[in-house]
Amino acid sequence: MRSEPNSFSEAVELSVTPSLVLEFLFCPRFIYFMECLNIPQHEELRLKVQLGRSVHENKQRINKDYLRKKIGCIKKEISVYLNSPKHHIRGLLDEVLWLKDGTLAPMEYKFASYRERLFRTYKFQLTLQALMIEDNYELPVQRGFLVFVRSKNHLLTIPIGDRERLQAKKAIEQIFDIILTGKFPSRTRSRAKCADCCYKNICV
Amino acid sequence: MLVWVIYDIIKTKTRTKVAKACLSAGIYRVQKSVFLGELNLNQIDQLSLKIERLIDLEKDSVYIFPLCRDDFKKVKLLGQAFDKKMVTDEIRTKFF
Repeated sequence: MRSEPNSFSEAVELSVTPSLVLEFLFCPRFIYFMECLNIPQHEELRLKVQLGRSVHENKQRINKDYLRKKIGCIKKEISVYLNSPKHHIRGLLDEVLWLKDGTLAPMEYKFASYRERLFRTYKFQLTLQALMIEDNYELPVQRGFLVFVRSKNHLLTIPIGDRERLQAKKAIEQIFDIILTGKFPSRTRSRAKCADCCYKNICV
Repeated sequence: MLVWVIYDIIKTKTRTKVAKACLSAGIYRVQKSVFLGELNLNQIDQLSLKIERLIDLEKDSVYIFPLCRDDFKKVKLLGQAFDKKMVTDEIRTKFF
């Protein structure tokens, strides 16, 4: 188990990736297994992850200068690595869009089919990216975009408000709490998730 | 949930690859081109993606049917049939 930090500054240097927050939302015990016990989940072996990564690679190469005029995009940056010491988040963004109204927006490609319901994880991911963008570019972010690759690149606009930002920050705090104290968190309320969990054999 | 995978594939090489994909997903071969077994939604999605990349979409056909347990109980088996308990994972190992 990881020892406790000697000082607050050591704790403050910690940062999480949006992916780690998504793992936390799936089940808090993922953080314990991954960060405290250092047991990797080997997600790279999953076919859907491999295909998703190849989609991201293709997006970086093909039609790089394409701007979505319909959503008011005037400029974009592809594969932007951002670090936000203020919010303790770091990560690679698929796209950062400059919009006509003077705001910025994160765009995320999802190797998934679009269903009528919006998953909590999608909202959180875009919110965390929005926090990183605001911290680095010092421009406001009011919305984010999702592109569902397996539904003919269906585009979904997600508003990002103060409530979402607060929830995201709270999730980061809870992750730090697990990492720094090394406490074994309670499992997810949804037992259906356990059926497809890579840690199910060692989770008690 | 229980899933039937039924295919009609022209090329032998592709057919073998699809059969191997089904077996590696953990479902049982109940006929030459029919597989049956217990998979969750994510595993079904993964298997369909795998098969989709193997087959010729213009010529071959693959059916993936989910089946609820209540309906499975009503299944009638005639002749040389599979072991119902085996395919539903009620028994993991068969001792002879």
